[in-house]
Amino acid sequence: MQFRLEKRREPSRLMSYATPFAAVLLTMVLGAVVFSLIGYNGIGAVREIFLTPLTNPYKWQDLGIKAAPLIIIGTGLSIAYRANVWNIGAEGQYVMGGLAGTGIALLTYGMTGWWVLPLMVLAGILGGMAYAAIPAFLRTKLNVNEILTSLMLTYASVQLIYYLIRAPWKDPMGMGFPQTRLFSEAARLPTIIPGTIVHLGVPIAIIVGLIAWFIMTRSVFGYRMRVVGAAPHAARYGGFSENKTIWLAMLVSGGLAGLAGVLEVAGPFQRMVPGFPTNYGFTAIIVAFLGRLNPLGVILAGIVLAITFVGGEVAQTTIGLPNAATGIFQAMMLFFLLAGDILIKYRLRRVSPQPSVGAA
Amino acid sequence: MPNRLELTGITKQFPGVLANDHVSFAVKPGEIHALLGENGAGKSTLVKMIYGIMQPDAGEIRWNDEPVMVANPKAARKLGIGMVFQHFSLFEALTVLENIALGMDAKIPSRELESRIRGVMETYGLALDPHRTVATLSVGERQRIEIVRALLLNPQLLIMDEPTSVLTPQEVDQLFTVLRKLAAEGCSILYISHKLHEIKALCDTATILRAGKLVDTCDPRQETSRSMAEKMIGTGLKDIVKAAGRTFGPPKLVVNRLSTGKTGHFDVPVDNVSFTVRAGEILGIAGVAGNGQNALLDALSGELIGDDSEAITIDGLGIGLLNTTERRRQGLCAVPEERNGHAAVGDFTLSDNSVLTARDRLGMVMMGLINSGAAKTYTGRVIADFAVKALGPASTAGSLSGGNLQKYIMGRETLQKPSVLVVSQPTWGVDAGAAAAIHQALVDLSMAGSAIVVISQDLDELRALCDTLAVINMGRLSEARPVKEFNVEEIGLLMGGVHGATEGTDAIPA
Ligand SMILES: Nc1ncnc2c1ncn2[C@@H]1O[C@H](COP(=O)(O)OP(=O)(O)OP(=O)(O)O)[C@@H](O)[C@H]1O
Ligand SMILES: [Mg+2]
Repeated sequence: MQFRLEKRREPSRLMSYATPFAAVLLTMVLGAVVFSLIGYNGIGAVREIFLTPLTNPYKWQDLGIKAAPLIIIGTGLSIAYRANVWNIGAEGQYVMGGLAGTGIALLTYGMTGWWVLPLMVLAGILGGMAYAAIPAFLRTKLNVNEILTSLMLTYASVQLIYYLIRAPWKDPMGMGFPQTRLFSEAARLPTIIPGTIVHLGVPIAIIVGLIAWFIMTRSVFGYRMRVVGAAPHAARYGGFSENKTIWLAMLVSGGLAGLAGVLEVAGPFQRMVPGFPTNYGFTAIIVAFLGRLNPLGVILAGIVLAITFVGGEVAQTTIGLPNAATGIFQAMMLFFLLAGDILIKYRLRRVSPQPSVGAA
Repeated sequence: MPNRLELTGITKQFPGVLANDHVSFAVKPGEIHALLGENGAGKSTLVKMIYGIMQPDAGEIRWNDEPVMVANPKAARKLGIGMVFQHFSLFEALTVLENIALGMDAKIPSRELESRIRGVMETYGLALDPHRTVATLSVGERQRIEIVRALLLNPQLLIMDEPTSVLTPQEVDQLFTVLRKLAAEGCSILYISHKLHEIKALCDTATILRAGKLVDTCDPRQETSRSMAEKMIGTGLKDIVKAAGRTFGPPKLVVNRLSTGKTGHFDVPVDNVSFTVRAGEILGIAGVAGNGQNALLDALSGELIGDDSEAITIDGLGIGLLNTTERRRQGLCAVPEERNGHAAVGDFTLSDNSVLTARDRLGMVMMGLINSGAAKTYTGRVIADFAVKALGPASTAGSLSGGNLQKYIMGRETLQKPSVLVVSQPTWGVDAGAAAAIHQALVDLSMAGSAIVVISQDLDELRALCDTLAVINMGRLSEARPVKEFNVEEIGLLMGGVHGATEGTDAIPA
């Protein structure tokens, strides 16, 4: 018996919405099997990773603050990827957003006033945009692949943190620790639910997702992104220049990554530390794809990935699962998702071993 | 003698469309059998099943009197079925020989392959140098590669889906000589085309499909083009209504010394082209594909922007530096020759495809937001006015048959009432009834005062439609003259002349 892939003329819409769910389910099943085989309590691992964060209300606040940056960055990436602009360096733009916000916080240290935080946010967005502008410039002017440049710039941004917090921005009373001083009150993101750690970034993430969804489905901007990704030649015929699209895609995704960065430094961290880059920018790539490059899907996918982060920590303490387990689960999810995508576009057809030829 | 191919009750259902409905007919050895039908009648679907690209839902295929199941194209080739598609799958940067070698199911040493290729070419008088790069070949020569590729397998049945829509009259004649010779040797040929006079000249039998059903089988030599067209449509055919003795208005589109730089490696640029189209006039541009037509269309539509504002003017206003969107606002609409991925996006709905070019002229955008209701209404009008066979504005462009997509695109542009319309191959792959409707729409638009440029390889179309005619060759345009002053031979020579001369050097004598 033989199988081959046959292209479907009209991919099923239902299936394209169903695959992310199937991918998550398959990940849970296969994860349980694999971890059982290597000697862990597989079922327990899956329960701790995927269910405990949901059933234990104490973990919800963790979910919220982990999901927020993933959703904000993932939304930006979903927009760029629609246009086939492959910004892989959201992590670097996130770092630059955080640094720009930190710069304002340190400049305004000790001042009070409502304007400090908005100014930081603005600086963060601009910082992310400016950093994304480098790959955009190289791509449009010199035709350098943005995948490579945006990725490599990420490592440069991390070095910049190390430099700044060791020398010019170092906390004068930090007993030599490489970190900035704690931001003053006006530069800290307020919590919205008293007694928890849920900060303003959480509702902002949801609002960003909703606005992006509206723009992508209704506006000429969203149409431009979709048509450039689907058929670049037709896009040019329709009056959408490729270079302008690359710029827009990079600036939007970079700006949102920068926004996530400044919210993160002003919220959970409240100072710049060496541990600030936490791979949100890379995980958000999975979020964007798991969410079908659709901002509403990205909101859901951001929550799912946040569950695996929170659950991974739970499983570490309760059943001694290694930290890398979280990464394995996330990778499996992406893998099943991509496999599912192939089956949406193609159908598997059983080919009996060619009786036709014998008859000839 | 048993039938070479016999189909019984072949049925194929697509979502919402019954593409083939119990189709039964037979092809005899050595017969040239035409498959006719309107756009979307199910011709391509039927031959795709014979060649194993798709499987029928019901029915039987018998091959030399044995029932067979053709699982895939490879199995079809093993049976002795060859197919030449309208769109070639060739690598531009490779040579003829390399392209053929890549397409072979079995590995053959290249020296042996070359001698076999030369053998086939000599037998059938197909002139082609195996060591030339595909990029330097004309469309007719590229088609010859596909034919040689099919003939190397000694097929007993050769399927050709709209093979002549891109050929010059001379190339068509050469193709027919080859096909007749093949048939004389016993190879059957299944031939799909919308050009009915060719069917009359070539085919022994014609099977006519309408809406997936077989409606008639006839002898094309006993029919007229018109009677066959009417059998396909099921009703009478309309003639183009063109007011006699029309006078033209003032110059509307003036092109003055337009040149384009070389864009791709293999594109022929436009070289110092000048012409004038008056209000109410239809100018035809004849020429063999690959002589700068694409560059000319891109330069006029604004996809390629030059450096001289005055090189293109509409009503005296220089638009040479404007982009496509701005030119559309100035009243210039254009239809490129390639419909998939250029004039339309296959994955998008028809409604979304209307937004692509009509959004500004028809007010589909307000403050950066798309008015999808307006797009849907307009698309509905295009579908109705141009009799596009589609389930509705929400169907994706990719689900339409070739000719129906072309009708939609032509409708989308003409109904915008542009003051200048530039179209390339307006009736490419469109059936006789629809071609007449498209021609009429163009004539009506010109009578309303628009200036129209039609780039086409179909001389019959240009002669029926245009007021003035010019010929493009290697990026240069001949002087435009009233169409009545030309005869077919003269145009054919102008089109092929220079081209043929540069290529004659390495051709194998036919
Ligand atoms: N894969 C598919 N999915 C859905 N509908 C399809 C598919 N392929 C073809 N169709 C539909 O089936 C019908 C027949 O299409 P087909 O391509 O066979 O027409 P055709 O006779 O070759 O037309 P044309 O002369 O325009 O090329 C059309 O209505 C088309 O929209
Ligand atoms: Mg067809």
